[in-house]
Parts: sequence; C-alpha cells; structure tokens
Amino acid sequence: MDIRNEVLSRVYITFFVLCGFSLFIFARAVNISVFEGDKWSAKGDSLYLKYIPVQAERGNIIADSGELLASALPFFEIRFDPNSTGMKAIHFEREVDSLAYCLANYVDNSRNHFEWLEYLKYHRKKGTRNILIKKEASLSEKNEIQKFPLFSRGQYKGGLILDRKSKRQRPFSMLAHRTIGYVRENAQPVGLEGYFDKELAGSEGMRLVQRVGRDYIPVSDLDEIESVAGKDIKTTLNVNFQDIAQSELIKGLKKHDADFGCAVVMEVQTGAIKAIANVKNSESGFWENYNYAVGTAVEQGSTFKLASIMSLLEDKKIELEDLINIENGETAFFEERMVDASMACKDIDTTTIRRAFELSSNVGIAKLVQHYYGTNNKAGEFVERLKKMGLGEKTGITILGEAQPYLKEAYSKKDNWSGISLPWMSIGYESTMTPLQMLTFYNGVANGGKMMKPYLVDQVEEFGETVRKFKPEVLLPKMASSKTIQLVQDLLLGVVENGTAKKLKSNRVQFAGKTGTAQTNYSKIDRSSKLKYRASFAGYFPADNPKYSVIVMVENPKVFGFYGSQVAGPIFKGIAEGIFESEMDLHVALNEKGIPRRVNSKMKGKHVGNKEDFKEIFKNLNIPYRDNIAENKWVQLQPRRDSLNLYPKIFSEELVPNVVGMGLKDALHLLESRGLKVKTSGVGKVRLQSIKSGTAAKGQSIWLTLK
Amino acid sequence: MLALNKIDGKFRGDGVIWFILGVLSLCSVLAVHSSSSMMGFERQGGNTEFYLYKHGFFLLIGVAMTYVCYRIPYRKYSKAAPVLLIGALMLLLLTLGLGTEVNNAKRWITLPGIGLTFQTSDFAKIALIIYLARAITSKQETIHESFGGASLLVPIAAVCLFIAPEDLSTAVLLFIVSLLMLIIGRVSWKLIGLLLLIMMVLFCGLIIIGTFSPDSVRLGTWVSRISEFFSSPDGGYQILQAKIAIADGGITGLGPGHSMQKNYLPAPYSDFIFAIICEEYGLIGAGLIIALYLWFFYRCVGIITRSPKTFGAMLVLGLGLLIVVQAFANMAVSVHLVPVTGLTLPMLSMGGTSILSTCIAVGIILSVSKYIDQVPE
Repeated sequence: MDIRNEVLSRVYITFFVLCGFSLFIFARAVNISVFEGDKWSAKGDSLYLKYIPVQAERGNIIADSGELLASALPFFEIRFDPNSTGMKAIHFEREVDSLAYCLANYVDNSRNHFEWLEYLKYHRKKGTRNILIKKEASLSEKNEIQKFPLFSRGQYKGGLILDRKSKRQRPFSMLAHRTIGYVRENAQPVGLEGYFDKELAGSEGMRLVQRVGRDYIPVSDLDEIESVAGKDIKTTLNVNFQDIAQSELIKGLKKHDADFGCAVVMEVQTGAIKAIANVKNSESGFWENYNYAVGTAVEQGSTFKLASIMSLLEDKKIELEDLINIENGETAFFEERMVDASMACKDIDTTTIRRAFELSSNVGIAKLVQHYYGTNNKAGEFVERLKKMGLGEKTGITILGEAQPYLKEAYSKKDNWSGISLPWMSIGYESTMTPLQMLTFYNGVANGGKMMKPYLVDQVEEFGETVRKFKPEVLLPKMASSKTIQLVQDLLLGVVENGTAKKLKSNRVQFAGKTGTAQTNYSKIDRSSKLKYRASFAGYFPADNPKYSVIVMVENPKVFGFYGSQVAGPIFKGIAEGIFESEMDLHVALNEKGIPRRVNSKMKGKHVGNKEDFKEIFKNLNIPYRDNIAENKWVQLQPRRDSLNLYPKIFSEELVPNVVGMGLKDALHLLESRGLKVKTSGVGKVRLQSIKSGTAAKGQSIWLTLK
Repeated sequence: MLALNKIDGKFRGDGVIWFILGVLSLCSVLAVHSSSSMMGFERQGGNTEFYLYKHGFFLLIGVAMTYVCYRIPYRKYSKAAPVLLIGALMLLLLTLGLGTEVNNAKRWITLPGIGLTFQTSDFAKIALIIYLARAITSKQETIHESFGGASLLVPIAAVCLFIAPEDLSTAVLLFIVSLLMLIIGRVSWKLIGLLLLIMMVLFCGLIIIGTFSPDSVRLGTWVSRISEFFSSPDGGYQILQAKIAIADGGITGLGPGHSMQKNYLPAPYSDFIFAIICEEYGLIGAGLIIALYLWFFYRCVGIITRSPKTFGAMLVLGLGLLIVVQAFANMAVSVHLVPVTGLTLPMLSMGGTSILSTCIAVGIILSVSKYIDQVPE
C-alpha cells in the first residue's frame, strides 16, 4: 500500500503540474487576445490589407497641330468575385444565367453559355473570390461588360473587379521614335519621355487591397487616393515635316548604303525643331535607335568653313573679292598634305575668296586662317572669335543626352594643340560638335545673326489648358555684324547657285547652304583600308526670306558617291521641296496677285452647289458675284460679263434630283436625304447619274460617275 | 455515449473518455474543414472539401481502431510489448534509411502497394510506452534501488535516438513522458540522473554528426527555429501569425470558417490548429479545448487510482501523458511559449497517422478502464 500511495501521490502531483501548465497557456492566450489584442490585430491588418499604388495615366506627347505622337492607351483587366461581400444569393441565382449568356457571346466564346453557367456556379459554390473575365479590355469593351447582368450592380454587390491599366502607344510608330523616347524599367530614360517624365507621369494613386488566397482584390471599387493623370507635352514637331524628313533620309541612306544618318528641320525665327529624324541602316531594316542629331559630337568637315570665313570677315582680315592662291587644290602645312576634295579646284591657281568658298577649297580657307591667325600667337583670337559666334557651347535643348561640343583651346597642351591644329580646325577637323549644334549656328546666320535656342517642346498642357509655355529663347542676339551676316548669306546662296551644290539647285524653292565631306578614318589610315566619309549639308530656305533651316548628315556612304553634294545635298533638297510645297504660308496667295481672269469659255458644263460655299470661295478669291435670290440653299452658276450670277436651283423632295455638275459632297447630301443609296466611281464632279432626274425616289441604288 | 454505455453492455469502460473522444472528433472536423480549404483550393484543383473528406475518413478509421483496441484485454499488450518495441525500432531504422521526405523531414515511410504514407514515430511512441509500463511493473520490487531499473534506459535511449535526427520535438516529448513514467514509477534519482547524462551525450553526438553531415540530422532547422524564437520579439513569422489569429479571435471568435489567418499560417490544419480555433471560436473555444484535455487526463488519473494492477495504471499514465503533454506542447507554440515544433494537436489536427495513434492510445486506456469497472470499489 505504501508503494501504491507513493505512486499515486506522484500521479496527482503530475496532474496538478499539468493543470498549472494549462492555466498558464490559457493566460498567455488571454494576454495575447485581450491585453495585447490591438497590437497584434494591427499587425495583422497591415499584413493582409495593404495599399498598392495605382498607376496614373501617362500624359500624351503631341505634335504641333495636335496629332498624338505617344499616348496612353487605357485598358482594363476585368475580374469577377462570385462571392463578393455584398452579393445577394437571389441576385446571383436570378442573373447568373443571363450573365453566362453575355460572357459566352460577347467576351469569351471558348466556353459556351452553359459551360459559363456551370463555371460561374461552380466557383460561387467553392467560395472562389477571383475569376479572370478579360485580360485586356478596351474602354468600350469595358463599358459594355459593365452593363452585363449582375456586373451592373458594381463591385460590392455585383462582384465586378476592374483594374485600370494603360500601355504606351505610338500612332506614328517610328516617326521621331528616338526623340519621343521612352521610360522603361531598368533602362536609361530616353528623349522627351525621359526629360519630361515628371510632367508626363502624373502622380500615383493608392488603392486598398485585401489578400484573398494568393491574390489581392480591391476592398472597394473606388481608389482610396485617386491618381492624377500626367500632363500632356505639346511638341514643336510637325508630323508632316517629320514624315518628309524621315522618308527622304531613308531614301538617301538606301541609295548610298550608308551606316546611319540624321536630318533636322528648324524654324528659323524661333528655333523650334519641326522635324528630327535619326535612322540607322541595319540588317533588319531602317530604324531609329539612337538620336545622332543630339547625342553624337563629331568632326563636321566643310560645313564648319562658314564659321572660319565669318571669323575672317568679322575680324576684318579679308574682303570676299580678295585673291587667294589655292595651288591647284593641294598644299602642305608643316609637311602635312592638304588636298581639296572638289575636282574643280584642280584647274585653279589663283581665285577670289568667294570662289574658293563656293568650291569648298580646303587649301583656300586653311591658308587664309593660317595666314591671319597662325602667326604671332594669334590662334587664340580665332578660337575666341568662334566662341563669340556661339560655337563650343551646348544648346541646352530639353531632351536627355545632348553631347558636349569640343573646341580646342589655342596652344593648349591638354588639347594636343599642334602646328597643324589651326589650319585643320578651320576646315572642320580637330573639333567636334553635334549636327544640332551646327544647325543652330546655320539657323542663326539665316535669322540675321540672332542665334535661337533649339527647342522641342512648345508647352505643357493639362486638360487642354496651357500650364507651362516655352517661349523661343535667344542664345546670342548678335553672332556677328549685320554686314558679315549679309556677306555670308550671300556666300551660302552662291554655293548653291555656282558652287559645289550647283547641281542641286531647285526650280521650286531657292535655298542656300554649304556642303560638307569629312573623312572619318584619316587618323588610322593606311593604304589597304578604304576611306570613310561623313557627308553633310546645312542650309536654309527660301534663301531670300529664310523660314526653315535644315541639316542632313549621312555617315559612311558606300556607293554612288560620298560627297556632301552627292549624298546629303539631295536629301536636303528633297526635304526643302517637300516642306515648301506643303506649307501654304510659303506660297504667295492667289488673292494677293489681283483678281483672277475670268475665262468664261473654260467653264464647261453646269456648276451647281451650295450657295454659301460658292460665296465663301468668291469672297476669298475676290471674285465679284451677284446673288439674285435671297433664300435658297442650292444655286447654279451663270457667268456674266463682269461677274458671276447665282441662280436658284430647286429640288423636289420626292423626286430624284439632277446632280450632274455637283461636287460629291453636295450630290451625296441631296440624294441620301431623299433616301437613295449612292455608289460612286471616279473622282471629280458628277458627270453621269444612273437614274434620271425626276424619277420618284423610293430608296433605289444610284450610281454616280465622277470625272 | 454515456447513455449508450448503459444500454449496450458491449460499451463499457470509461464513458466520459468516449464522450471526450467524440467531442474532440467533432471539433476536429470543424477546424480542419475551415483551415484546410485553402490547401484544397490550391492543391486539389479548387476542391476545398478534399481534405475534409480525407480527414473524416481517418476519423472513422480511428474510432474503429479505438474500438478494436478497447476490445483487446489490456494484459495482452503487456505480452506483445517486446515484439512491438523491436518492431518499432526496426521501422524507425527503416524510416531513417528509406523514408519519404515530406516538408523536408524524413519521418514517413510509404506502405508498398497502396502508396499510403505513415509516420513511424507515432507507433513507436505507443510501443515504447507499453514496454515501459510492462518493465516498470515487472521490476516493482527492485526498482527503487540505485540501479534497479537500469535496463529501462536502453529502449528509451534507442527510440529517442532513432527519432531525434528527423523529428527532435517528438523525441523530446517522448523523453519527457518516459522520464515522468520513471519518476512516478519510483525509479531511483541516481538512475534518472544517469538517463539525463546519457541523453545529453547522445544529443551532443547528434549535433556533432549534424555539423559534419547536414543531410542526416536536421540541425539547421533546430538552430533556425530556436534562434528565431529567441531573437525576434514577435517569435518569428509563424508565431506572429498565430498571435494575430488569437488576437483577431478575441473572446468570442470570428465564427466557424471565418479565419483570415489560415491564409498566412503554414500548416493551419495541423501545427497551428489551436491558433485557428482561437481565431474562429475565441478564448471561449480555446478554454473549452484545454478543459477537454484536462478532463481527459483527470479521467485517466481516476482510472489509475482505481486500477487494481500496476501495469494497467502505468499504461494509462504513459498513454494519457503522451496525449496531454503533446496537446499542451502544441498549444504552447501558438501562444509563444516554446519555439515552433512539428507536434500536432492530438485528435484535432489533420494527419492520418497522428489520429490513428491517438485513437489506439485512447482505445488501450479504455481497455484498461473496462476492467476496473468490473471490480466495484
């Protein structure tokens, strides 16, 4: 019995210890649940409720007349929560069948009506909280889906979950691709998208979501913090000009099998960039993948001679009619050979400076600069003069990645200044700048010496209202004296009229400019390697009253010539002519030339149409007319000796009218308003109609032949 | 069940224990259904009830096993004890060698042919308890002498050693229960000291093996769980989630099926089922569950007190402790008292082998109780 009691007492002790331990566990639970409850619950909320950012709709990038260059295309991810908190069983049961029908017929026919029904019911029963309905629904699709039975009750009662997203769209695809640029994750931002990212991005909103299984679903169908859509960036780019520049550039690159090229069009008076095309010729085709015009500082070659001659003129070292010995296009500076590219120079010994410039004689320009600045430590004056004319500085254009230009400091050891630096610098070597910087210089010359800052963005808009306006900025009010500017403008015209670009002379638009042919691999040259060139042309048009300046640069043309006049010049000409023809402002209006002659005999056939339209035309062309009737929409023209008379034309509402002699717009209006179905062929005015006028109109089809 | 007990002569034994078993099974169905639905949704193609049916099936088998074990006269367990122990040891060795890994722990072996897996340690536990009960009983006369019960140490050390590399918590649990049995069975304190010493040496050995051969001992898991427990003020991710569940439940709970934390807690249907019960049924539900286990042990104490034979008393003591200590160990994890273990809540957690072994243990206890009821006090 002793043993038994001893054992039993130990059992009881164990029982009491266990009782104590269980009490301790319960006390812990009470402590966690009651006394620390708020603390742990809050931690829990932060774990299964969280805010996620809601992407703001990115602003648009638009062209000068409102075309969208890059825009946010909104789309919706549509999901369905068949067990949403507020959904009433009766609503689900009543409407699920119609919903299944709508989904099968309008959204996703991979399941038929009954399969959808089964599917929805199954997930309702299983407690699913999240079914994908459509991954990318457009705005109009989303609007339709929102009207579906059950869904129309909203998120809380109808379980419809809408997640708004957007993707970047470029309606003009490749047009100014690199200039518009992009902002992507894990990539350096590029172009306008990059530079104006802050404005375009807007501000993110916040949405409270709850974790359900592996997914998060929004707690309500409103965002807790609404996102603010980004602002729009209105650029100076003209879609039409851009298209011309790009297609001309591609044409040239194709013809000469060049590596890459760029073309920039700038408005002379303001510095607004109207077009900027950068094209790389790759195996897979032509594509913009780098903004050469802005990002590559290179030796510009002969286009630089404009700066040299300006410097000589401004420092009053020369007169254009002074003579210069160009030594038949070949000389040497400190035993370094310099040869003229132009064949015309081979036959010339001594000529005027004007002629030397027109023929782009390296020898001529280099000898002049060397003669006037190469002695008595005066090279610094030359470099200083270049700087005073606005060279060697960034333009400060509002786009990411403008390259720093490089002008050698005179006699600077750091810059490896040597005896031949000055003559070579004067013809566009040993210093670098971007095509855009060169164009800015030419544009300044075209603008009478007022150097404008190139700019790409006209204004920042919000809901169509201007919030920030970029005005044209002057970089340098006076690059040189008016006389110098006058002289070099004349010189540039001479290049086209008589010089290296003579063959490019256009009978449609007079332009001025300078060719450039730079050798790009001279430093590594040996006899075996082929010479490589950079062809360029910088200039402006119309020559007498410059509106636009253009620079074209083509890298490494391989066939059909390599000179600036052969490769870049024709591209320039194509752009100039294309822009000139499409720009009404550049043409003299007809009504400025006096009253047009009326040639009655040429008015064959009848001219019938809307009275107001005719009057508008006559007013604009200053043609006198006599309006004989007060109230009639349709009139016929009747030429008289000193004016045109308008006679009323009345059409019955029930009969097929006679529309011969009308334009298609008027004819369509008349016929369709009488219930006829119109089919047409040809262009011009109506010549024939298949149903005779006066026939009863009963919804027949009528054929019109236009000519 | 009580009523049944009186009507049907076949259902004798402790009616209250039958009742507790029934209530726990019912709670188990509710809690497992709620907490396993997400796993069903994810792993069984959206079938949120898959694991409920599986669990219900095991509960039915379990209750059947209880009945079978209850029908067997408990003296037969004493006779089978050595065979059971040797069999258990062999199974454990087999598991260490050829076991199937689940959740990175090699505790299961797959039955050839039917493809079912079971956790061998669950059966080894019972085999060891039965053997200890028998050994303590047979050595009653000499056991209190210094080294009278020395032969008991070998099976304890062997079973724990074989379980420990892959499942330290079960080994520790089993060791604690064995230790309690020895103490209550009046084994001398010198021998207890010796056992502790042996265990320490073995444990150090395991650590050394684990350091050089991380594949054979889950040393990394032990270190990370223990260090997480002591270094993080929240007790680490899992315990934090359990505490959030307890806090969210409050006093009355969120109601059946409304647990949110089941989405965050790992194994909400087994290791952390107590937290889910707290969340869905509040402190009231948790208190009732604790009370059920205590009541169960109280009934066991009653059986021990009234048991005419030492073997029966020791058997009930060991098996009762096994269930209750494991239950409280499981709860202690959820309330941030001990580091995360892999121990289930007996009878409540999902897991076939765990249910079956608990049912067998309860069956044996009932078998003992059957015989004391025959002898009126």
